[in-house]
Amino acid sequence: MLNLLRSPKPLIQHLLIGDRILIISSILVILYLFHTLWSNEQAAKVQIRLGDTVYATYSLNQQRDIPVHGTMGTAVIHIAQGKARFAKSPCRNQYCVHQGWLTHAGQAAICLPNQISLELIGDSKPYDSLNY
Amino acid sequence: MRKRFSTLLLLAVFGIAIFGLNAYNKEPLYHSQSYIFGTLVDISIYGETDDRARLLSNQVLQDFQHLHKQLHAWKPITNNQPSELGKLNLAFSQSKKPVKVSPLLASMLADATALSVKSHGLFNPAIGHLISAWGFQRDEFSVVYIDNASIQALVKSNPRMTDITIENNIVYSNNPAVKLDLGGYAKGYALDMAADYLHQQQVKNALINIGGNIIAIGQHGDKPWRVGIQHPRQPTAIATLDLPDGWAIGTSGDYQRYFMRNGKRYCHIIDPRSGYPVQHTQAVTVLIPPQAPTDPQAGVLSDVASKPIFIETAENKSKVAAMLGIKNLMVIDQESNIFVTRDLAQKLHWGDKNVKFATLP
Repeated sequence: MLNLLRSPKPLIQHLLIGDRILIISSILVILYLFHTLWSNEQAAKVQIRLGDTVYATYSLNQQRDIPVHGTMGTAVIHIAQGKARFAKSPCRNQYCVHQGWLTHAGQAAICLPNQISLELIGDSKPYDSLNY
Repeated sequence: MRKRFSTLLLLAVFGIAIFGLNAYNKEPLYHSQSYIFGTLVDISIYGETDDRARLLSNQVLQDFQHLHKQLHAWKPITNNQPSELGKLNLAFSQSKKPVKVSPLLASMLADATALSVKSHGLFNPAIGHLISAWGFQRDEFSVVYIDNASIQALVKSNPRMTDITIENNIVYSNNPAVKLDLGGYAKGYALDMAADYLHQQQVKNALINIGGNIIAIGQHGDKPWRVGIQHPRQPTAIATLDLPDGWAIGTSGDYQRYFMRNGKRYCHIIDPRSGYPVQHTQAVTVLIPPQAPTDPQAGVLSDVASKPIFIETAENKSKVAAMLGIKNLMVIDQESNIFVTRDLAQKLHWGDKNVKFATLP
């Protein structure tokens, strides 16, 4: 038995057809689960966009302040227990801060002067684009 | 040896199959966001490769940028070089001397004039001086203290689109008080322009959003494009609806550009009759079907048509909507009462299932 573990060649030789099928199918299941669970966004997240690029995407299951350097200065995004908001912004009107907490997938807050936007992302988007 | 080889081969085939399935399952949806027109431009393209969609979307954004520079109401291109619209406004204020403008600007001005007449002057892009007096011709607004006499003087100077004459790309104004601000027109025009361009490029499915005004081409895979309508007082969508091919949606609201003074809200939509910001309405949403080729297009109408309805008092809103041919309409007044036409009510999916609204005929 110890011999078998030390050199892999005899191990493969000892495998029966059923073993092979079992190994292959378990690898396939793992690959499949990896792809479905890893790439799809199951948990709610917040996507931060800066200008025309996605700056970062964070899980909402944490308590955290994230500084983001916009065109005007540094804004602070606050994440806490499934919610996110603009906590601080260098813009004059503070519309983004006044928007308050975003709690549901699809909700968004935009700071036009500083060119930063937040959007909560869930399993599915409730709509493709927002009319305002 | 042969067995091992066949095992590896089997594994490889399955692996490729899984990757292939995954790639197939990934939606062919391209999405971009940019800041142009002092607002957010959001473009979705469905059914094209990412590379082609990126090229197309960048071209659309470039065209927008170009239009923005040409039409900017208060920002010069460089320090000494005003925008084409800026030059025209300067000429208007100085004399009645005719000015040659680009065919594009001439056709936009003619189109905007026709819509202004149709709305009995409630859509009035000639009141740039009033908008400026209220501090809304700036990237960021602050509390403005108004001298009532100067507002009354601006109203009395009565700038109207019909004061300008447009002939063979030559424009002049009979009224030095005319100052053009196409803020309520240009985004809609840009939507139509982008839709035309994408059609020419054989794009079957796209959704273009300029600062909240949206136009749809085709659909999102096997479903129509779906849009949310912003709640005027909460960071959420008040309702969603499907936007069919060629349709456009626009909202005028008091929540995007405004300042507060003594607990009162002063928004950027100004009643040309009083010279004061409208305070009786929170939001007006219009949904526009595709239009006849010779008429103003859906994008322009989605931008323009909501303004006169927003400005008009509650009892006259339906009348002005009918005048503009608007059948799909939602009005939210300052007390947050919601009014929806029968046509639009059938299309809306409310965020709050217990929402109360009154039906307009």
